Amino acid sequence: MWRIWLLFDPRRVLIGLFVFLFTLALLIHFILLSTDRFNWIEGPGANAPTAQIEQSLG
Amino acid sequence: MSERDARTGSLSGLTEAEAKEFHRVFMGSFILFTLIAIVAHILVWMWRPWLPGPGGYAELQDGIQMASLTASAFFG
Repeated sequence: MWRIWLLFDPRRVLIGLFVFLFTLALLIHFILLSTDRFNWIEGPGANAPTAQIEQSLG
Repeated sequence: MSERDARTGSLSGLTEAEAKEFHRVFMGSFILFTLIAIVAHILVWMWRPWLPGPGGYAELQDGIQMASLTASAFFG
């Protein structure tokens, strides 16, 4: 298994891995924040429609 | 690209000893990362499970309410 580092340059592998994992983590966290159930900042019901103002013309 | 290193004769430029040393550190970090991720997933599942089942998330919530009502009936 260690022979993989004779084929692939560890520097490139590490940079690629870090960039990939960071992008994936960012994506997953923003997806979760956009949901109602898994938004850990606003909590559920944060985007529920508030009271509507009805306005009649004439 | 894909030229063998003049010093080591390997494609990456590492000797076997260097490759083994890097592999030890890499696998240690990988296992630590995986363990932290597993703990994080367990905590999030305890907070809010993400597989709702056929009845939707409301089913889970109903179960919790049923349990808390039952418990409060017994223990006030």
